[in-house]
Amino acid sequence: MLRKLLKHEFRATGRIMLPMYLVLLVTAIGSNLAGRGMLDRPSRILNILAVLIVIAFASAICGVLLMSFALMIQRFYKNLLQDEGYLMFTLPVSVHQHIWSKLIVAAVWFAVTILAIIAASLIVAYDVGFLREMLDFFRYFFEGLQKLKISEALNGTVYLVEFAVLMFLSLAAFSLQFYAALAAGHSRANHKMVWSVVWFFGFQFVLQMAMSSIFVMLDKLGVSNFLNIIDWNPSVTAAIHVGLLMAIGCVIVYGAIFYAVTTFFLKKHLNLE
Amino acid sequence: MPVLECKGLTKRFGRVTALDEAAFSIEPGRIVGLPGPNGSGKTTLIKLANGLLTPDGGYIAICGFAPGRESHALVSYLPERTAIPVWMTARQLMDFYCDFYRDFRRDAAEEMLAHLNIHPHQSIKQMSKGTREKVQLIMVMSRAAKLYLLDEPIGGVDPATRDYILSTIIGNYNPEAAVLISTHLIADVEKVLDEVIFINQGRVMLQSTVDDIREEKGMSVDALFREVFKC
Repeated sequence: MLRKLLKHEFRATGRIMLPMYLVLLVTAIGSNLAGRGMLDRPSRILNILAVLIVIAFASAICGVLLMSFALMIQRFYKNLLQDEGYLMFTLPVSVHQHIWSKLIVAAVWFAVTILAIIAASLIVAYDVGFLREMLDFFRYFFEGLQKLKISEALNGTVYLVEFAVLMFLSLAAFSLQFYAALAAGHSRANHKMVWSVVWFFGFQFVLQMAMSSIFVMLDKLGVSNFLNIIDWNPSVTAAIHVGLLMAIGCVIVYGAIFYAVTTFFLKKHLNLE
Repeated sequence: MPVLECKGLTKRFGRVTALDEAAFSIEPGRIVGLPGPNGSGKTTLIKLANGLLTPDGGYIAICGFAPGRESHALVSYLPERTAIPVWMTARQLMDFYCDFYRDFRRDAAEEMLAHLNIHPHQSIKQMSKGTREKVQLIMVMSRAAKLYLLDEPIGGVDPATRDYILSTIIGNYNPEAAVLISTHLIADVEKVLDEVIFINQGRVMLQSTVDDIREEKGMSVDALFREVFKC
């Protein structure tokens, strides 16, 4: 059933996101042409037009970023907690499947948006000279790679994977904080949106308090002394891996807490208007 | 086994008790009316049966299942508002129902849409409010469910549409299933009912067959409703 939910969720969101990417692509091509053939012309009209196209491209980047963020909240709110919730919550699917479908789709659109912006920026910067520079860059890059030791190449790849996983999980966990606030706020009989905002800032406050308390506690427990005692002196490479993995672990715990809160309110305190 | 059963079912909204120790059961093959004035607890009861609200006390079960994933596969629910996604076309909506409900009869839905001259490629957003309600009813009645929960299916529509809706319900429900119709327009639905459950201020006041009311009280359900709920 999750697969079917995902299919309909992508269909519902794709009709908004895909045209946004198309606008981004068109304005990126326009900006490229403006940069190469319009800005340096003596015609004032062409100069103004080129500036307007570049402004449109910048607006398209802001628009696609804002839309992928707004859509993440709007789909959860409108599809589950408003009128459409009467249909969605009477489907033979579990609350877990509802949350996962929203979460996966939101995270995928975030990731696609970042890739689309990178691709659009490359389109804007593209010209024949740029292509030559790019080819040169890749040639030097691969030459450099050949000189690297296997361990260095492996570590570099693992850093990239760890960083990408951290980013992806952070986006999902951040979405869950919004979902938890909306689910908790909408369990109330009245003023549901006001309560959702209150819950969101409440979660933020508790989170910051908890983080500060953990750091103070670790300091008081003498973690640095403990590391000295066991004589753990990692290399810089190992320390970065440990740091990234610990950050991934923290984000998983942060996301899991808000997943549990969202599930609790949707399962035990659903209160559709 | 009753299709729908509740005992001591209670729901409060703050200090207001919307449903107070409600208890009744509905057997298969019955069309049951749930008349009551506005604010009597009809919608609350139906939402509790669908798991859209969480009860504060008591018990409610559909074919022995508490409201949840299993019961949702057995219940076909018509909410009192338009809940279908309006950005879809009628065809996409049928795809949606086909995907999630094994008992959805696509041929029946297509036939009913054709009968009303609703084009499957037409977007629901482009339809009038009345047409959207009809499309929603068609989706609900195209399922071969065990229990149909219809919340105010004829509220706010013209008399001709009322007749169409009632004939759609009678002509399409699964005969082994039960139908619960919440309404305050008793006169219009009385002819199709087997039983009624009167509900007022969250309390079940009476559960009886329509024939018993006519024989014992010597009046129609509509006349009894007007007498019981006289302002």
